[in-house]
Amino acid sequence: MFPSRRTSLAKLMRGALYLTLTLSSLLMLLPFYWTVSTSFKLEQFVFANPPQWWPDPITLQNYIYVFTRIPFPRYLFNSVFVAVVATGAHVFFDTLAGYAFSKLRFPGRDAIFFAMLLALMIPFQVNLIPLYRIMAWFRWLDHYQALIIPNITGIFGIFLMRQFINSIPDELLDAARIDGCNELNVFLRVVFPLTLPGIATLVIFTFMDIWNAFLWPRLVLSSARMFTLPLGLAQLQARNTSTWGQIMAGTVLTALPMILIFLVMQRQFIAGMTEGAVKQ
Amino acid sequence: MIHHRSPLRRRLRQYGIGYAFVAVPVLAGVIFLLIPMITTLGWSFTRFNGLQPPQFVGIDNYARLFTHDRIFIKALWNTFRFTILGMLIGPTLGLLTALMLNQKVRFQAFYRTAYFLPVMTSLVVVATIWRMIYNKHGLLNLALGALGLEPIRWLSDPHWALFSIVIASVWQGFGFETVIFLAALQGIPATLYEAAALDGANVWQRFWHVTLPALRPVILFIYIIGIIGSFQVFDQVFVMTSGGPANSTITLVYYLYSKFMDLRLGYASAIAYVLFGILMVFSYLQWRFFTETD
Repeated sequence: MFPSRRTSLAKLMRGALYLTLTLSSLLMLLPFYWTVSTSFKLEQFVFANPPQWWPDPITLQNYIYVFTRIPFPRYLFNSVFVAVVATGAHVFFDTLAGYAFSKLRFPGRDAIFFAMLLALMIPFQVNLIPLYRIMAWFRWLDHYQALIIPNITGIFGIFLMRQFINSIPDELLDAARIDGCNELNVFLRVVFPLTLPGIATLVIFTFMDIWNAFLWPRLVLSSARMFTLPLGLAQLQARNTSTWGQIMAGTVLTALPMILIFLVMQRQFIAGMTEGAVKQ
Repeated sequence: MIHHRSPLRRRLRQYGIGYAFVAVPVLAGVIFLLIPMITTLGWSFTRFNGLQPPQFVGIDNYARLFTHDRIFIKALWNTFRFTILGMLIGPTLGLLTALMLNQKVRFQAFYRTAYFLPVMTSLVVVATIWRMIYNKHGLLNLALGALGLEPIRWLSDPHWALFSIVIASVWQGFGFETVIFLAALQGIPATLYEAAALDGANVWQRFWHVTLPALRPVILFIYIIGIIGSFQVFDQVFVMTSGGPANSTITLVYYLYSKFMDLRLGYASAIAYVLFGILMVFSYLQWRFFTETD
């Protein structure tokens, strides 16, 4: 009798577990669902009571509006362009520097690396004001350069790549050198392919950072044709004339690219996120 | 033909390649980090509007911040409250969720995706979505109405506004903590639990004496990262409340931003250094955490 009571209790616990997980994950998804649903609604039904869970009638007018009257396609292009160029540059420079700090010998190497690690402690806001003035001095304000150039390399990325390259045995590099590879070829043919998993992590972090950035673009960009998606979305809400349907259509367009990338690369994302934190 | 190179020349060549490979990051670090950091410190002792040359005023800016500026004290206090509330709720939810997901449940991938999806979403998007949910006639007040409760002015009542921003931020971020805790839980060797079970430890004792100690470094990591991030809260405030109502949601970085927009650059620089000073301890811990992996 006792064991059967145990198992029924265990079953009950199991049921409660699934119920909690299912309800809470649906609750997590509800704001997304509500956003998408609202983006297809006519404005008079957005705050209908009782709520209109399924848009009736379904309208595309909000999307037509943000596509034609608000330059969302342009925002999308700006976001993609800036994020792709900056991420590409990150991969190149961070990996090169990580390789140099890991495998090449030159005077001052460890001192430079140590100084860089120290600089990791500076919060971005501390540099904000002079950085803005530097951008103005270069005449980069309201240009792609202001978003891209300060973001072509990063200390965290260099640190990450150095960690990965540390695990490549020196003998492998020496063998390539004996075969006549110069340093650039050693890097391109041996190091780069072996660091690909690390590069995946680097790409994810960098891309996400730049794609979601708000404060810095908000400061250095002033004309709508230069806006990235988050800026465009904030701007859409600052207009008194915007309706909630339009704002939600803009929200869907801003969130969708990143969510799609995530769903495709989910495993790399999660692996990348947990790598730094969980040391076995 | 054998090409003979002296060891010295080869060594010098490697030096050159090394310097070339780190040149861009070093240059970027000097121009975009080192020079701005020192400049901000210098400007924090000046009155400076960006047009006329800065005027040295000693520690006036800092003195005014702490003795005469009620809004700054409010911003400081709000930032602390935002951080503490968020750090109480977020990691706790994350750990609970991870513990549930770690029970060998089916559909784990689905659940994990649901919790993690907001982490991928930009804060501007999150703030926009929640602004609609927090609307006077929004989903949340409809739910309250269905329960027979009075509607709450989530973002326009000074008593609620900051807490509302915390909730939206926790929704956005705790999936990150869930995923990290889950990975750490899965890394705890089963033999530890078996040994504890042999010793007659119950569920609670096993959690207290096996799980929690094993999670210690991860908990530390989450709190350091979380505190540093929370202290820099800006996007949500900008989109949801612009610091209002009655400065009830103004935060350090938002205040810095508004002083920047007012062209009070010396004053804004002092705010930046106060933030830097507060974060120093946590940044140092974070730094230790990263360099320990070396």
